[in-house]
Amino acid sequence: MSRYFDIDDIIMEDELSSVVFKVGANGVGLLDPSAETNRVEQGSKVELPFWLANELYLRQAVSVIVPQCFNQKTRREIQADAAYVDLRSRCPYFYELGCKVAPLIGDRTIGSFLLYAFMNRFKDVLSKAHSAAFAVAPRFLPLLTKEEMHLYEAARSSMTAFKKWRVGGSRFEKASILGKKKRSGE
Amino acid sequence: MAGQSDPSLSMFSAAEVEFLAEDEMVEIVPNLNMDTLNLICVNFIFFGYFLSLSQGDFGPFRPQMATSVPLWLAVALKKRGKCTIRCPQWMSVEKLTQVLEAERDSPAQFQPLPFHYVEISRLLFDNARDDIPDMYMARSLIEDIRDVRFHKFESGLEKISSSTHVVKLKNLSAMEVNIVRPFFVRALQAFAKHDSPQMIHHQQDAMSSRQAHPQDDGPRRDLRRR
Repeated sequence: MSRYFDIDDIIMEDELSSVVFKVGANGVGLLDPSAETNRVEQGSKVELPFWLANELYLRQAVSVIVPQCFNQKTRREIQADAAYVDLRSRCPYFYELGCKVAPLIGDRTIGSFLLYAFMNRFKDVLSKAHSAAFAVAPRFLPLLTKEEMHLYEAARSSMTAFKKWRVGGSRFEKASILGKKKRSGE
Repeated sequence: MAGQSDPSLSMFSAAEVEFLAEDEMVEIVPNLNMDTLNLICVNFIFFGYFLSLSQGDFGPFRPQMATSVPLWLAVALKKRGKCTIRCPQWMSVEKLTQVLEAERDSPAQFQPLPFHYVEISRLLFDNARDDIPDMYMARSLIEDIRDVRFHKFESGLEKISSSTHVVKLKNLSAMEVNIVRPFFVRALQAFAKHDSPQMIHHQQDAMSSRQAHPQDDGPRRDLRRR
């Protein structure tokens, strides 16, 4: 609840995750595109946004299936070469979703998998963020998840700010409002 | 105390760090006659580093008599042509060469340099170029030192792992700390999150007791509020 106002946290909860209904539900046919009647049958597999899946899980109405981005294929790819796996296209909120979804599903290896993935990808972000020329950036940026993106931006912006300061430039910055006033007076 | 330029990041801008550096003392040789300046003294704490103008009185200023003043005052006098600044000991070419060699020789530790060496050297190079012997040499030496140190720091960061809670770095300077702070804080936060007790708990469960699955419903429910 500490991140109640965090926009990324809110958007993250919109990620789809598959669930299996443990009970039949009347009047919610729109959740299941394949339903012929206005009803979701027991045992049918439906994709729901995470926030809804979570609430239904708490009411024991559904069981959550491991999301696509934590399947065996992704795990093998991460183990092979963590830095070059395109996690953004699989799930931009990979780590956040992983942390939230782990308690809901029986699979207990997700925690260590996330840690492993982050640790290995972090090194690559680190080495590129502080030193990379801007030409390199576009190739590598689309692979990053939101969290890694924030990390990269933090490093890059502090480095560029320092470089700007070192090169110099105007020592005194004029408030933008002063300039405007003068121009309108002329 | 956080920087004012970007409240969301809780970091200092380079200019703010430079401002703090202007309180460091330097020696000047004035060429004017002026009585003692009685300035109101200001103390504050920065990075757990107690900055103080221990005495608020500077001077008296007599021609050719060296005296020590804060850097901002020295720069102001210099701009008006009222003094020459004495190049600090550590900024001589021999000393810098020594430091650079030592930095290269010891990959594990940083050499002691003034806490604000990046900022002081830049202020002096900008404002007192005629007072520094071999200015171009000194400037490129300082650049090299900074690069070597930063590289060292970066390779140190690569070693952070989930078990890192505290990192101790001796002799790191204000500007260097300031550059890596946003990245470093975020990285440590992320590691702490992924290595939180809940996640470890899962891991241990998976390894030790597969058969205890049905009983696990209880603890799992506790965790859901995260």
